[in-house]
Amino acid sequence: MEWFIYILNGLYYASTIFLISLGLNIILGVMGILNLAHGSLYAIGAFTAAWLITSLAGWNSPDVLSFIILLGGAILAGFVGLLLERTLISPLYNRALEYQLLITFGALLLFEDLIKIVWGGEAYYASKPFDILGKVDLSGNIYPIYFLLVIVIAIVVKLLTWLFLARTRVGIMLRAMSLDIEMATALGLQINRLRTWAFVLGAALAGLAGALVAPTTPVLLGFGMEPLILAFVVVVIGGLGSLKGAFIGSLIVGEIRSFGIVIFPEIELAILYLIAAIILVIKPEGLFGRIKS
Amino acid sequence: MEKTRRDFIKIAGGAAIGAGTLLSGCREEEEKVVEKRGEIPKEPVKIAAVSFLTGVAAAPFGIPGNNTFEMLSEKINADGGIMGRKIELLSKDEAGGVDAQVKLARKLILDDKVDVILGYISSADCKAVLPLSDELGDLIVAYDCGTQELMEGSHSPFPVPKYELGFRTAATLGLDNIGLALMIKKYFPDIKRIAGINPDYAWGRDSWSIFEESMKKLMPQVEVVGTWWPPLFTTDYTAHISALIGAAPDIVHTAFWGGDAVTFTKQALGLGLFDKMTVAYSRGEPIPQEIGKDFPENQIIGCAGPHYFLYPPQDKWPLNKQFVDEYQKKYGKYPTYPCYHAYQAIYSYKAAVEKAGSLTGGWPTVDEVADAMTGLAIQTPSGNITIRADHNAIEDGLFGFTKLTSKYPFPILDPERIEVFPTFVVNPPVGIRTVDWINSW
Amino acid sequence: MNLKRFIFNKRSLIYLVVLIFLLIIPFILSPFNLILFESAITFAIVGLGFNLLLRYTGLLSFGHGAYFAAGAYAVAMVGRYVPSIYSIEFLIPIAIIASLVLSAIFGFICVRHTKIFFAILTLALSMLLFALLFKFYSVTGGSDGLYIPTPSIFGVTFKRRPEFLSGPYYYFLLVIFIICYMVMKVIVSSPFGKALQAIRDNETRAELIGIRVKRYRFYAFIISGTFAGIGGSLWTFVNGHVTPDVSHWFFSGEIVYMTLLGGFFIFEGPIIGAFVFTFLKLYAMGFTEYWMGIIGVTLILLVLLLPTGLAGGVVTIFNKLKTRKVLGGT
Repeated sequence: MEWFIYILNGLYYASTIFLISLGLNIILGVMGILNLAHGSLYAIGAFTAAWLITSLAGWNSPDVLSFIILLGGAILAGFVGLLLERTLISPLYNRALEYQLLITFGALLLFEDLIKIVWGGEAYYASKPFDILGKVDLSGNIYPIYFLLVIVIAIVVKLLTWLFLARTRVGIMLRAMSLDIEMATALGLQINRLRTWAFVLGAALAGLAGALVAPTTPVLLGFGMEPLILAFVVVVIGGLGSLKGAFIGSLIVGEIRSFGIVIFPEIELAILYLIAAIILVIKPEGLFGRIKS
Repeated sequence: MEKTRRDFIKIAGGAAIGAGTLLSGCREEEEKVVEKRGEIPKEPVKIAAVSFLTGVAAAPFGIPGNNTFEMLSEKINADGGIMGRKIELLSKDEAGGVDAQVKLARKLILDDKVDVILGYISSADCKAVLPLSDELGDLIVAYDCGTQELMEGSHSPFPVPKYELGFRTAATLGLDNIGLALMIKKYFPDIKRIAGINPDYAWGRDSWSIFEESMKKLMPQVEVVGTWWPPLFTTDYTAHISALIGAAPDIVHTAFWGGDAVTFTKQALGLGLFDKMTVAYSRGEPIPQEIGKDFPENQIIGCAGPHYFLYPPQDKWPLNKQFVDEYQKKYGKYPTYPCYHAYQAIYSYKAAVEKAGSLTGGWPTVDEVADAMTGLAIQTPSGNITIRADHNAIEDGLFGFTKLTSKYPFPILDPERIEVFPTFVVNPPVGIRTVDWINSW
Repeated sequence: MNLKRFIFNKRSLIYLVVLIFLLIIPFILSPFNLILFESAITFAIVGLGFNLLLRYTGLLSFGHGAYFAAGAYAVAMVGRYVPSIYSIEFLIPIAIIASLVLSAIFGFICVRHTKIFFAILTLALSMLLFALLFKFYSVTGGSDGLYIPTPSIFGVTFKRRPEFLSGPYYYFLLVIFIICYMVMKVIVSSPFGKALQAIRDNETRAELIGIRVKRYRFYAFIISGTFAGIGGSLWTFVNGHVTPDVSHWFFSGEIVYMTLLGGFFIFEGPIIGAFVFTFLKLYAMGFTEYWMGIIGVTLILLVLLLPTGLAGGVVTIFNKLKTRKVLGGT
């Protein structure tokens, strides 16, 4: 029965990575920008959530509130994304790729220290939502209910994003833009507003991922680094700018990590990069790569 | 005229090198700097203290260590300083990885010109930084890190000391892991399966290898069912914990410390690991206080030497009572072993300077301090330490089981089941590698 | 006197002044600053190679740390496993071979792509190397990294590192740097270099006039990676320690940063960038614990306000002054 737990662990891990890489891929697909500061938005979401939960701990608030305020992480990250896009990224749409990459790199460095200034250098432990839900006995294996909740949330977010892109006006315009930006411009779409939309959506998804992880682990400086790299791996495996790729890629990464730790404990994460490298050699545009270079 | 090492470095660094002497090394210039004997400089003695001040290891580990350095330098300054010189403490952050620490240490020695560096919690940082002591000619005292490789040579018997100017004022991880094996042999003589989960760097790797060697000698029937190596400062151990539960060992060995130990323990509680096995924490002493009463009972805890706020009993050893009271008053927590280690480092330095100074009549050179520190024995809140010819201190080893009492808001070591292994049982002789010593049992 | 003609005629004079300045550096700087200066020289070599890809081939690599690491770890591995040949005259060729082989393997995969794809592929591959260096603890020392002993130079050995760094090594480094500078100068002005620029400007047209685009990109990639490897190997002796961090994308980002800081439109830009960045980072670190933010803000301002980098900015100001002078003079 342990296999069952390993699969769940993989799913849980895939859920958070999925939210990050989905945002990364939306930005990449619509705007053609690889957002190196994406990990910082994730960290901002995590710090916000952890900070809200710990500040709430002093008051006698109803338990359900500690779940609702997790959304605060997504909201603040989305807002920071809005500022970032409007002030720093939007002046660069007509400039060369290296500037777009470097401005997000600069933002990453800046955010790292802003986080330090706002929240300090020590780790935050905000496990209340995790503790409240408790554990469930799955045929002899104890499993935290909170992890199951995160998996459910990720699935819901996936469905909502699909609906948004398939059914809403903005969503359809975003897809049109990612397919052919010149045509979209010719058709009179408000390109700049759509770009802002895409960036804010991507940022909020990263923030949500951070907020969901916050109750399970200490939140500390440099929090966004590792997830950012894993999101890169997902993007490379799944395909640049592909939403389906983000989904399948996250599942692959999550399950391989979970089973890799059980079966090949010696090489742990290296196995992920090896698989990414193999896919790069065989199918350089990724499994579902739509955009060709 | 005899030249001191430091003078030589100064000359070498600033030497005028003509094109002709390009490849023949530095030409020695006429000596310009001579430290006058019998005079003690007026300016303060600069001590750099390097511990984790940010990140996951800060709260449970680096900050207690740094607090102690601050508290004790204030205390020493209030009592007149070291040979009349006040201490100027430069607290630095150990975060940023090995490479950042090498650069920082080089800056502290060459640019800030500190008299001594007392620092390093991570074994990786120790291993990278200690060679700088001899290279740059300044005293570096490792105060907490544990890898035995730091001071050992490649084969036994090895020449000592490895570094003329590098010291460690605490015992190695040999003590922690030999002690754990002795505990297991005494309290769990019938177990069959063990596993290990350790951080993937010098400290974790060496801890496990010493533990595994000791277990092979002491309990040859025991089988190792798995070893896991998550990177240092991992924040998600759930996959490892599930894998551990799947492997079903009787006892799990871990050398997790600081934030890693806290994170691992919290997540292991969530996944029900403690219902199925016992965890042996090689340096677990600070963790129960950090986690509080959720910390599971009956887990094996090592104290990185004999460092515990309840040992030696405060009524029998006033130094411990005084230290615990002062620390508790100032910071609201009981001192954990990093605090005791910080005490050992700063007081060893003070004692060595005073010992050397009393012989030469003035402020001693780094070489004289190093000579005085070799063979030094001082009294500490945990008893006595001796710094041997290999420039490494040796201590007794204290181990126990966690137990919740009504008196403290976190589990303490069960007084019924405390074991103190004497120094010679858990520390190898000078010049013998720990592994070779275990294999000679 | 006409400024333009002055520079044009006295270009060699400038070289001479710079050379004399470089020769007396060890007498001017404190040991600590000299070490920084030396590490800046090694980064300048990396920058020269990096710019062959960015400026002359139009490819942005976000994984140049990998080839830097190949050079650095080649030195470390020899030091650990074959100490009998631990001498600079052996170490540099070994490092060159190591980084050449690695950049050939990675380049083979990467040059099939351009733009953002190229950037992401180089990044992913450097992270693969990072993961391998990190996980194979028993071989590479994992995150502990490896200690780099002081090497001998042509049979001369040194007891202490400052003694080695304060003179002999500095001049050795200078010689290598000048060689690298001249080699790169020759490469970019050769037919090969012109072909690269033709590819950068218009791939299709280059293909039509008979340039084998991918092969030329591949060669440029290998040369660029090898320069990074040379820089990496020389850097290890200064730093005394090497960890997998040099293969992390973050480190590669710093290489990109240096190049843009100096200004990649100008051949010497990355060299200026390497020096300014090295000292900027150190003084920002000494000045405040929020040095990352300072570096980040500098980068943002640079991209928004001074996209041609410091060298580009100086040239712009210079041209403006010149125009004014010419106007005023007539």
